[in-house]
Amino acid sequence: MQFEWTEEQDAFRYKIRDFLHANLPDDWEKFSEHGPASPALTAFAREFCVKLADAGILFPHWPREMGGEGLGPWEQQILAEEMWIAGEPRGGQYMNVNWIGPTLEKYGTPEQKARYLEPITKGQSLWCQGFSEPDAGSDLAALRTRAELKDGNYVINGQKIWTSYAGLADTCFLLTRTSDDRKRGITIILVPMDTPGITVRQIPSLIGEGDIHEVFFDDVTVPESARFGDEGQAWEIVGYSLRNERLGIPRFRLARAALDRAVQMLKDAGEFDSEYVKIEAARCAALCEAAGTANYAVVQRRVDGLVIGAESSSARYATVMAERVVCEFVVEFVPEGLAGASPYLKMHHQRGIVAGVAAGSAEIQLNIIASEVLELPREPR
Amino acid sequence: MQLSLNEDQTQVLDFIDSLAKPFATVPMHDVSLALESAELDEALVENGFLDVMAVEELGPVTAALVVEKLARLPFAIEAAASAMVRPLIDPELPRPLCLVEEGKTRKPLRFLRPGATVVVVGPSGVKSFAATEEMIAPAQEDTLYGYPVAFLTSLPESMTAHDVDPAEITRAWRVGMAAEAAGLLGGALDSTVTYVCERKQFGRPLATFQGMRHRLAEDQVMTNSVYWIAMRAAGTGDAGDAAMALLHAQEAAKRVCYDYHQFLGGMGMTLEHPLHLWTYRLKLLTAELGGRGAQGLAAAEALWG
Ligand SMILES: Cc1cc2nc3c(=O)[nH]c(=O)nc-3n(C[C@H](O)[C@H](O)[C@H](O)COP(=O)(O)OP(=O)(O)OC[C@H]3O[C@@H](n4cnc5c(N)ncnc54)[C@H](O)[C@@H]3O)c2cc1C
Repeated sequence: MQFEWTEEQDAFRYKIRDFLHANLPDDWEKFSEHGPASPALTAFAREFCVKLADAGILFPHWPREMGGEGLGPWEQQILAEEMWIAGEPRGGQYMNVNWIGPTLEKYGTPEQKARYLEPITKGQSLWCQGFSEPDAGSDLAALRTRAELKDGNYVINGQKIWTSYAGLADTCFLLTRTSDDRKRGITIILVPMDTPGITVRQIPSLIGEGDIHEVFFDDVTVPESARFGDEGQAWEIVGYSLRNERLGIPRFRLARAALDRAVQMLKDAGEFDSEYVKIEAARCAALCEAAGTANYAVVQRRVDGLVIGAESSSARYATVMAERVVCEFVVEFVPEGLAGASPYLKMHHQRGIVAGVAAGSAEIQLNIIASEVLELPREPR
Repeated sequence: MQLSLNEDQTQVLDFIDSLAKPFATVPMHDVSLALESAELDEALVENGFLDVMAVEELGPVTAALVVEKLARLPFAIEAAASAMVRPLIDPELPRPLCLVEEGKTRKPLRFLRPGATVVVVGPSGVKSFAATEEMIAPAQEDTLYGYPVAFLTSLPESMTAHDVDPAEITRAWRVGMAAEAAGLLGGALDSTVTYVCERKQFGRPLATFQGMRHRLAEDQVMTNSVYWIAMRAAGTGDAGDAAMALLHAQEAAKRVCYDYHQFLGGMGMTLEHPLHLWTYRLKLLTAELGGRGAQGLAAAEALWG
């Protein structure tokens, strides 16, 4: 085992940092308080991602066949870390390069690849992920939004909820039900968001503007060619793409960066002299670093080409614990940070509090760890 | 020992219940981050509910009961400082009352607004002044704390000195906060329990999953025990009880705020569900008086010297 980055990896990290330093506006920190899904940040990202593409750091981790540099999982990790601690200047486009692109490449038709990959590589498209429904959250397989094939078109009816970016996205990666067979009856359809019959309502939230939405589908009609993969193949494809997403957000890094900020504010106020505060801060740091290393162990599995199973749930839950204590530390010792004194801490708080819910809730991870890591017998039904 | 409510207390609480009925739920379509009602505040003052401590047959436990009850409402009311601390300083001080630790004026102050009485408590004594527009900076508009908060940008040249023991004021302050936290904990628990009993996933109510039941049951244990230690601290007037009460309340607050937002899933991130009104108030209370560490040190000092 060896816990240092290679020289090349360090150079890659500094290349990104230098780029960010040179290309983010002076008031960026205040600006990035607008969530990654806000209209302001979405508009910013449309220009910023073009610059990233020009500099070769929009998707350097993609394989060469896809136009990337084939850099691999560690570099993808470094890229994600630097962007996330900078407040994610890519906005929702981070999803494109993390999992939408690679998933399109693996499962898309030539027509779909031709249509959707180019705008992604140009930094010009925004996707949303239409999975969750009012009655299908943790129990995703209970989803009911129907897609019926009629005369060569799919007619879609139903409702999604919590859909990030839906207000401004151009395409939805939509899960629909095409038969009653629970998991095997779910089909992905790529739906342009300007298709008639789609209504988006933003949900007022604790996590900033533009993040979560309800999306209604009333007789939304798209050609059969909009289907992604085969009918009933969604579960397999989503399993593949979520594995990429779970590694996508290096929350432990931002949590650690926020903690460092909070400690600096306490030092500046002459209040970092209490042993109690120091111990609490150190506990937070330990959780962040432990979670980070557990996540790196999952990245290693990707590097080694191994199947990623429940260890990603364990790493993710460790991250949730880290996010939790850092959010609590800030509120307890630097409460002014969230009331205007530190845009960075506010930004972290609003991204940190969703750690245990977004992309699958923490308790479901615990169930996975219990069943698959510990191999505990299941609860009798 | 006599731990049941006396007749007067029952009457006071019943009266508050009926008076607060129109304020027991969030108005339709309201998605405010901090909900207040001048009307409710006025009604409480008019009926003397914030002055019960000075009434001989009522006293500090009744005041704590009032504070606890009011904190269960989704509306934020400046009750704890007014009802439990003000009588010890000067019952005529204009409300709302904002208590500040000397030297800690950088923190967001609950209910700070022009006309509010700011009370600075610290080693150099207890002093107060009326806040004016010029000494107040608003908090960021989308501040999440569930209370109206603002910052003090300067202190006036002269303040009114009060001839009271700062340690005694800090004690009462701790009790008031613990009582308020007890009510917030109760309100948040009720709201969460209702949700997880109604919400179904995997074909059954969330509340039937044992993993959740145990956590919720422990949350109840914390909530219930905060209530009792807060009432005890109000009753005994003991400095150790007060510090333990607020310590326990702040520990509980940390725990339940995380749990409850988890249990609501995506719904816990919205302003359309009122949970945040209790949890974000609780979160800010975890910072009160230096947080758990400071309460712990004060309790240890009081208990073992
Ligand atoms: C900020 C944010 C962004 C999101 N973005 C998207 C998006 O872009 N697209 C999308 O499709 N979805 C999105 N989601 C939705 C997210 O995936 C769901 O919120 C999540 O899957 C949980 O579902 P739920 O909200 O319905 O909670 P529920 O499933 O109702 O769960 C509520 C609570 O019950 C617990 N619970 C459920 N089942 C069990 C069990 N068996 N045992 C013990 N506890 C249990 C859960 O762990 C949770 O604590 C987003 C959510 C958030 C918060």
